[in-house]
Amino acid sequence: MPLLFAALALIALVGAAGVLLSRNPVYSALSLLLNFVAFAVMYVMLSAQFLGVVQIIVYAGAIVVLFLFVVMLIGGNLPALGRGRRAYVRAAGVILAALFLLALLFGLARPLPNGLAAVGAPDGGSVQALGLALYVDHIVPFELASILLLTAMLGGIVLARRYQAPPKD
Amino acid sequence: MSLPTLDFSLILPELVVLITALLVLIADLLWPRAASRGREQAPAVLALAGLILAGLLTLLAGEWSGATLQGMLVADALARYLNLVVLLAAALGLLLSWSYLPHFSTQRSEYYALYLLAVAGMLFLGKSIELITLFVSLEILSIALYVLTGFHRGQLAGGEAALKYFLLGAFSSGFLLYGAALFYAATGATRLADIAAQNAGGFYMLAGLALFLVGLGFKLAVAPFHMWAPDAYQGAPTPVTAFMSVGTKAAALVALFRVVQAAGSVPVGVWATALAFLSLLTMTLGNLAALRQSSLKRMLAYSSIAHAGYLLVGVVAGTAAGFDAVLFYLFAYAFMNIGAFAIASLLERPGFYAVQDAGIHAADGLFGRRPWLAVAMAMFMLSLAGIPPLAGFFGKLYLFAAAVESGWAWLAVAGVLNSVISAYYYLRVVVGMFMAEPSASAHLRLPLPASATLAVALTALGTLLFGLLATPWFQGISR
Amino acid sequence: MLNYSWLILLFPAAGAVINAFWGRRLGRRGVAVVANLAVLAALIMALIMAAGVRSLPAAAHGRYELTLWQWIGVGDLQVDLALLIDPLSVVMALVVTGVGFIIHLYAATYMKLDDEHHPLDARRYARFFVYLNFFILMMLTLVLANNFLQLYVGWEGVGLASYLLIGFWFHKPSAAEAGKKAFIVNRIGDFGLALAIMWLFFLFGKSAGSLGFHDLFAQLETLSAQNSPALVGITLLLLLAATGKSAQIPLFVWLPDAMEGPSPVSALIHAATMVTAGVYMIARTHPLYEMTPASMTAVAWIGGLTALLAASIALVQTDLKRILAYSTISQLGYMFLGVGVGAYAAGIFHLTTHAFYKALLFLAAGSVMHALHGELNIDRMGGLRAKLPRTYAQFLIGAAALAGLPLLAGFWSKDEILYITYQKNMPLYIIGLFTAFLTAFYSFRAVFRAFHGAPRDHHLHDHAAEQPAGMTRPLWVLAAGALFAGLIGIPAAVGGLFGVEHSHLLEAWLHPVFANVQTPHLPAWWELGLLGASSLIALAGLGLAYARYVRQAGWALRLQRLFSPVQPLLEHKYWIDEIYMAAIVTPLRRLARFFYTFGDQTVIEGAVNGLGRVTAGAGVAVARLQSGVVGLYALSLLLGAVGLLGFFLLFG
Repeated sequence: MPLLFAALALIALVGAAGVLLSRNPVYSALSLLLNFVAFAVMYVMLSAQFLGVVQIIVYAGAIVVLFLFVVMLIGGNLPALGRGRRAYVRAAGVILAALFLLALLFGLARPLPNGLAAVGAPDGGSVQALGLALYVDHIVPFELASILLLTAMLGGIVLARRYQAPPKD
Repeated sequence: MSLPTLDFSLILPELVVLITALLVLIADLLWPRAASRGREQAPAVLALAGLILAGLLTLLAGEWSGATLQGMLVADALARYLNLVVLLAAALGLLLSWSYLPHFSTQRSEYYALYLLAVAGMLFLGKSIELITLFVSLEILSIALYVLTGFHRGQLAGGEAALKYFLLGAFSSGFLLYGAALFYAATGATRLADIAAQNAGGFYMLAGLALFLVGLGFKLAVAPFHMWAPDAYQGAPTPVTAFMSVGTKAAALVALFRVVQAAGSVPVGVWATALAFLSLLTMTLGNLAALRQSSLKRMLAYSSIAHAGYLLVGVVAGTAAGFDAVLFYLFAYAFMNIGAFAIASLLERPGFYAVQDAGIHAADGLFGRRPWLAVAMAMFMLSLAGIPPLAGFFGKLYLFAAAVESGWAWLAVAGVLNSVISAYYYLRVVVGMFMAEPSASAHLRLPLPASATLAVALTALGTLLFGLLATPWFQGISR
Repeated sequence: MLNYSWLILLFPAAGAVINAFWGRRLGRRGVAVVANLAVLAALIMALIMAAGVRSLPAAAHGRYELTLWQWIGVGDLQVDLALLIDPLSVVMALVVTGVGFIIHLYAATYMKLDDEHHPLDARRYARFFVYLNFFILMMLTLVLANNFLQLYVGWEGVGLASYLLIGFWFHKPSAAEAGKKAFIVNRIGDFGLALAIMWLFFLFGKSAGSLGFHDLFAQLETLSAQNSPALVGITLLLLLAATGKSAQIPLFVWLPDAMEGPSPVSALIHAATMVTAGVYMIARTHPLYEMTPASMTAVAWIGGLTALLAASIALVQTDLKRILAYSTISQLGYMFLGVGVGAYAAGIFHLTTHAFYKALLFLAAGSVMHALHGELNIDRMGGLRAKLPRTYAQFLIGAAALAGLPLLAGFWSKDEILYITYQKNMPLYIIGLFTAFLTAFYSFRAVFRAFHGAPRDHHLHDHAAEQPAGMTRPLWVLAAGALFAGLIGIPAAVGGLFGVEHSHLLEAWLHPVFANVQTPHLPAWWELGLLGASSLIALAGLGLAYARYVRQAGWALRLQRLFSPVQPLLEHKYWIDEIYMAAIVTPLRRLARFFYTFGDQTVIEGAVNGLGRVTAGAGVAVARLQSGVVGLYALSLLLGAVGLLGFFLLFG
């Protein structure tokens, strides 16, 4: 198992790096797909089968496809991304990110805390368990999430509509 | 197994705001725009009615006992006060929008619906006592505000500001989520009460709280997470700036307070010292930068950053008196800051493709042309500077007194020194209004819109009354 | 009776509000009537309060506190909005409203013309009186405060009014610059006051439960030793505040420039009332100073040295109002000297007489200025005696009182300060006496140069004309004060000659306030001898001025030549402005610029300042995003996150 995990983690990392480093947006989207799939497998490994499936269907299936559609609709000659950033900004970013990682590694190298004991329990990720978690235990944030989606949708509509200046009077 | 029974009466005001938002969305269908000119403002009327109703429900609900909705949302005294502050700020900002919005947009339903959704997000955030609920509430208000910031789509500054706000907001949300995950890792719980009960210590709690502070610090515009704020505050339509500079701060402060309380196992010395340094950095940076601004709105944006620093002082104090002071200051701040932005909005030249910002000299000679407006603006400026007997002075007094009481004398001294610096740029506006002749580029929207005038009158009255009657108000809050 | 005292604040407030909002509609006449009535009503109220204080029962120690409302309650601390009515505050209120009323009367005519002798429009005219009434309100708030916080409010309020009025001719760059200078220099002093109040609060606030003067002074008993370090710190900070407001070393540099304001402002704020606030404050807080002899010594020396320094500068100035400004600084130095040697009543006495004759001098100088169309240089005057007879008489009376000629107001009060200084501190007595000589000399130098001799500028002289009665008449009241105000403080030794007991009326009146202060006394003949010495000194100064400027006596000219090496030093005011500029202002500016370029410009504005200036070009916003602004912002965020995380992990 640890070997499998290491392999998946590596794939996920490669995917994430690919999203950032690709100059071509299509490659970025495809790298994202790689990352999503790796995570889906990890979810399954943690007995969260439903989550793994949803990850494939929704993210890998729908969202990445949507990205690709958008990229293709806009056309292939998008300006290459990631140019023009000043070198010192990039260097400072890399150093800070490395420090951040170091700080986290420093702590993560210790024994696991109690909170994670329940993670990976055999039926923890079953549809029933998930249903209970969503509709019984966490019904409030679940409902709030619907408001969040409504807000996002409304925002999308506002931004997508062509701007019309009000009539001068 | 049974489905849970939920006592929705605990979130009645929030539900009213949400339902109003939905009604506003379909207002165009209910009252087709073409039908009558008089009905153009139907969404605004509806929204205002909803806010007032929510406010009344909050007031009439009596003492909120602290009953919880499944341990996710709590109706306690803190939430009640937050409700009042946010609803007050929202209603005042709405009065400003009333005459402002038609200058640049025809999408009234969408504007007011998003506005109300932001309000709902803030109200929920103030009641959240569980990490997921807290995060979702925070995102509701954030997403609504990202869009509202860029709502003037005819001008690029708004779009640019919104985009920056959004990108950085997403970045900071990442930190907040990571913090929440670490909390969960440490305790296996997401309810704040359970997290507190676990009393877990060590790396996971420490790092979790640190990252949580990053996320909330961003919303509060605390340095060094403040960089988005000047751009967003300047680029957003002024009524939105007025509303969000108060509402977001209020809600995020309450959340910060709750989280800090829950992470009780983290030594007070650590988080309080960290917050004290952030507070010092924030007020100093905000005030120094405000000194050099040439736009009135941007100056107020930096002043708003500085005020986030003052407000943190009360959280650092960590005592009940400290947070009472924060609540008092939020009320005072709602009045004086929204008042200042209201005047700034009246001095702007709203155009169709770009709003021309009010420069720092836009208020010059205002006293000669509109004495009452000038007096009101002088009150806002003096109150923001913390000069007695106005509300801002007492706010600072209570904050700094609480800090001294709990052994943070140096922070209080730093706060006082900062107030001295800030007096310079606030007074510059006052002096200009009373002494200088109007500059050539100065512009005042005439005739004054009734709704904005009402907002100015209300805020001026509040600034004065909160100063003169500070003691009874403060005692009311403490109780 | 006393429970209606709050009316004294209401009247000027009402005057200011009425003129602020309806001033333009009232017209200039209406504005003047409203403003004058407001101050007159306040003056009547002050008289009623004086009567009220007289009839207080003995148990009250001449003190009446009127709480208007509870203002602040933080924890155990309670601060009320309350008036402290006692002999001291009533004297101050009388001076403020009395002299203030005369000056308002004068200003009603004076301000009809602006600084270039064009008619002043009604709006600005109204604004002037709004500021003036507002000043009276704030000054009364200051002197009637019963606690430090309220004192601070008044302190800042009068500063604001002063600042607004100095810059009243704001289109003149020098006036705007002077206003700014006054503002900044005073901030330093005010900062001292704020710190002192906070320190007092930390020290006694808890136990006293308030910031009231008498509540705090009651706590002093808990301090056994004199000169406790904390109290010395507090009193020195209060002294710093006083040196700012009252233009003493080291913060006196703003007052000469403040003469850019209209003459009535110079008379009211920068001579008679506001600048004496520092003296008042020290007298009011004298229980603190009585516990700290070290600070008392500092007060006395600052006063004595300022008196000497300013008088020496006044010797060579040629601008009439500047001469008066330096003489004001010098006279304030005497008052500091007085309160510094524990002669509080004498200090207040000098404050009162000075208010009369210095207001008189400034207003007379204002008349001269109007008559000469703005000319203030005494080198271009001369021979105005015949042209402006009334103004001449008034200026002469003022100058004589300032010079301390025997029996005039300034003589009695200055001499009383010197009399007590003589017993407490001999070096300062000698300085004071020498300064008195200089004072007499420069006072009459101004009189002789301006009004006697042949006219030096015939054009100016020919067009000079006496000012309207609206300006000259009120000055007779002040002239009467300059002549006779000293009668309220005839020393016991002189009174004894005429068989009058308690001839020092003011001292008797103030006795309840300073009851616990011991003033030493010498035998009567000794005191009379000192009086004689002062008289001789004053007459000697007058004589020298006469010899030099009227008779042009050869020996006097030779004497002047003897001192010519120091003349540049005096003319440049010891280069103090330049020294401050080089040592303080320039480095501060550099520091501010550093912060700006480093903290603000490089990091924030260098990247963003274009926001809002973006006008066209769809790609601009995106281009800027890519050029690293958002990256920079994100970097700052990340830096903060790493910092916070590191802090938590290292110290947690």
